[in-house]
Amino acid sequence: MAEIELIGVEKRYGDVVVCSDVNLHIGDGEFLTLLGPSGCGKTTTLNMTAGLDEVTAGEIRMNGQVVNDLTPFERDVAMVFQNYALYPHMTVADNIGFTLKLRKFKKDEIKRRVDDVAEVLELSHVLDRLPRELSGGQQQRVALGRAVIRQPQVFLFDEPFSNLDAALRMRMRVEVKAMHQRLGITSIFVTHDQEEALSLSDRIAIMNGGKIEQIGTPEDVYSRPCSTYVARFIGSPQMDIMVGSIEDRGGRATYSVGSTSFEIPAGAAPSTHGAVDLGVRSEHIRIGQGGTPLKVIVVQPLGSETYVTLGDADLTFNLTARVPGMARYTPGDLLDVSFDPEGLLFFDRESGRRIEADGALA
Amino acid sequence: MSRATRRRIGKGIQIALLVLFSVWTLAPIVWIVLSSVLPQAALTSTPPDIAIENFTLDNYRGIFGEDSELLIGLKNSAIVATLTALVSIALGSAAAYALARLSVPGGNRILLLVLATQMFPGIVVIIPLFIVLSRVGLTDTHLGLIIVYLSFVLPIVIWVMKGFFESIPVALERAAAVDGASTLQTFRLVVLPIAIPPLFATGVFAFIEAWNEFFFAVIIAQTNAKTAPVVLAEFSGQYVSLFGQMVAAAVVASIPVVVLAIVFRRFILRGFAEGAVKG
Amino acid sequence: MPALIVMAAVLVFPIAMSIVVSFFETTTSDFGFNEFVGIDNYTKIFADEIFQTAVRHTIYWMVAEVIVVVAASVGVALLLNTNVGRPAIFRIILLVPWALSPVANAVLWKWIYNANYGILNYLLMAFGIVDEPQIWLGDERFALNALLLAEIWKSIPFIALLMLAGMRNVPNILYRAARLDGASTWQTFRHITLPQLRTTILICVVLQSIWALKSFDLIYVLTRGGPIDATTMLNYLSYRISFQFGDIGLGAAVADILFVFMFVLALGYLRFLQSPENRRTA
Repeated sequence: MAEIELIGVEKRYGDVVVCSDVNLHIGDGEFLTLLGPSGCGKTTTLNMTAGLDEVTAGEIRMNGQVVNDLTPFERDVAMVFQNYALYPHMTVADNIGFTLKLRKFKKDEIKRRVDDVAEVLELSHVLDRLPRELSGGQQQRVALGRAVIRQPQVFLFDEPFSNLDAALRMRMRVEVKAMHQRLGITSIFVTHDQEEALSLSDRIAIMNGGKIEQIGTPEDVYSRPCSTYVARFIGSPQMDIMVGSIEDRGGRATYSVGSTSFEIPAGAAPSTHGAVDLGVRSEHIRIGQGGTPLKVIVVQPLGSETYVTLGDADLTFNLTARVPGMARYTPGDLLDVSFDPEGLLFFDRESGRRIEADGALA
Repeated sequence: MSRATRRRIGKGIQIALLVLFSVWTLAPIVWIVLSSVLPQAALTSTPPDIAIENFTLDNYRGIFGEDSELLIGLKNSAIVATLTALVSIALGSAAAYALARLSVPGGNRILLLVLATQMFPGIVVIIPLFIVLSRVGLTDTHLGLIIVYLSFVLPIVIWVMKGFFESIPVALERAAAVDGASTLQTFRLVVLPIAIPPLFATGVFAFIEAWNEFFFAVIIAQTNAKTAPVVLAEFSGQYVSLFGQMVAAAVVASIPVVVLAIVFRRFILRGFAEGAVKG
Repeated sequence: MPALIVMAAVLVFPIAMSIVVSFFETTTSDFGFNEFVGIDNYTKIFADEIFQTAVRHTIYWMVAEVIVVVAASVGVALLLNTNVGRPAIFRIILLVPWALSPVANAVLWKWIYNANYGILNYLLMAFGIVDEPQIWLGDERFALNALLLAEIWKSIPFIALLMLAGMRNVPNILYRAARLDGASTWQTFRHITLPQLRTTILICVVLQSIWALKSFDLIYVLTRGGPIDATTMLNYLSYRISFQFGDIGLGAAVADILFVFMFVLALGYLRFLQSPENRRTA
């Protein structure tokens, strides 16, 4: 069990700064995800926490003690790697038991523990096989088993599901979450998949260019993104952000973009007016309940719901709405569009920061 | 012409060419092996009398008779080639691992170095080498030959092994670190077991090179340390008319390396042919 | 990296020393630098008729060997890359001449070329191609090409295996795409295989040229440069001058000329290999 703190952590290779001023506090037993596109510094942050990469500035603490100079072994962390990094010449049992063997556990003790772990992970029947004889999902579970067996202080996951197909990824998500609930070990999970992050985490740290852009619960980062970067990164379909301005039309706030204008529900507009960006998530776009008429451009039925992409005549912007069931619209149809008041997010054009109701930047 | 006929003709041509290729490559070998088990009389008759009842091992008995020079040569070759192979994989793999994992400045120039060692005409190297070796008293010794062979085998071994070590994912070593392995344990328990096939390949390669080398051997190892090829060359000069014994000696001197090459063909083909092509 | 420094020293030292030696009169009897003679060794060797002959032979030998070996190897590799040629046995066949000791190879051909009892004369006469036995290695008209044949036979396998590995690296999808685009077998070879093999072929040409210039074992065992210097090439000439005539200074001069030749050749290849056009296709 451990509490982890990263204080002003930086990693640079010569002049290239990979991470800078990373500050994180991960509570005991918490599941935290580092989310971001490739090259944002999330894996480096994880490797520094593991003790695999050295920190060039700042401090990493575990349970209050500075661990900058400790090896992964001394930090007592376990890690699941992106391509699993299973030892190709060892059987499944040897892979899982390797760390105990290095710690000079007795043979029968190793066997007993390996058997226990294998049973939980449904690997009992493949213990004598080599990694290359396993399916992707089985390899993944061996990697998990290798981490679980020693009951470490911290679990670190480096994009562990990126090589699995969609169905398997869902199953492994359930397994990892169940494992975390069962063992309650502090976990840091790195991924570029926002859905994975939302579904697994207690909190999510979204990284951008080596810095942390926002930290918060899944609810926070989804509903109250601090910037257009976070807003676009989280949620599917991607949030539509229009580049227009808030205007005052006879006491009522409207948002105009190109030749189109939308009415802003009372109380939803921030106190500042003028050129700001407006973002709306698909579930907050209402269709056919009055409002501004827009043309249907593309319709994507997905079974349980349908994505309807709409735009103005000049195609200066488009919006994707979500309609339950298999809605039958035809490209070219004109539909009335309006917005849920709680779903409107305004962003400062220059900085990309979200504008709070009082006009301050988030 | 229908597609099926055209395909059949194409296949026929391929088979014919393959037969031609096999005959061209194998006929000289078959002929030399056949000649080595025929008595002098059968070899010198026209046409050569290759009846099975003529087959005899007399030629082999002849070359392995008392004070057999060939036997000494084979023994010297075995010592020199084995030690060259062992030392080159021990030193070469350590150097290659360092080059592959630490960013050594100029480490990428190893290919140039390999080309350079190939480029040196032996004759350029041999003169200064001969002078140095005779000053330190290493001419005509096993050690002298081994040092010379290492100087051109090592770069190749390093090059091939470096390519191999680079193909091992770094994550594997990181996983070992997380599992609590020291650097030495990581190398011994994780990297080395994976590296055994290419180590074998490079070892076999070094062995074959050292076994077959002639130019340096004939100049610096004329008497005590003379290797099988040197003895064979002497043989072919001295016993010009004992054709059977001459070719039998050639067969004997070739068997170890040919067998090694065939047994370890998979390693050699993968390690070298593909490594070289990737550059 | 100490190992690299040591190796560089091992390589640079002999070259430097060999160049120094070539400016002295030095003999095998004492290896002392007896007398500084400046470029005398070089002027002497350039005026030497045998040297000029050796240069001609060397160039002919290298060009012919490289062309035949590389072309034949592409053919062999193509053949082994078909379904019919895929079984491992054909690659094993190739390994035999490759692994064979070069001296054993020389002995093998010595027996085949034997004027009285050689199988070559027998076969050629049986098929009526020649009327009487030819002294292949003793006739200045034939000797060089006889050696060349033996050398080519042994050289093809390794180069063919390199080519084969290169061909295996060509993504299969390219061939399917070419077939869909309606390319004939020849067009596929010309527009897919050859361009994709460019780097491999270049490497093979470099290696084979270097090896051709270094040929020694065959000459030593089969002809010793004869008859009447018909098979004398630079490498062998340098050996003969240094170790048989004992004139190390003069021999070193020949060796250095050969080295410069190889060096320029290798530099040229490297430039070619690293040219932007090549990098694009590679």
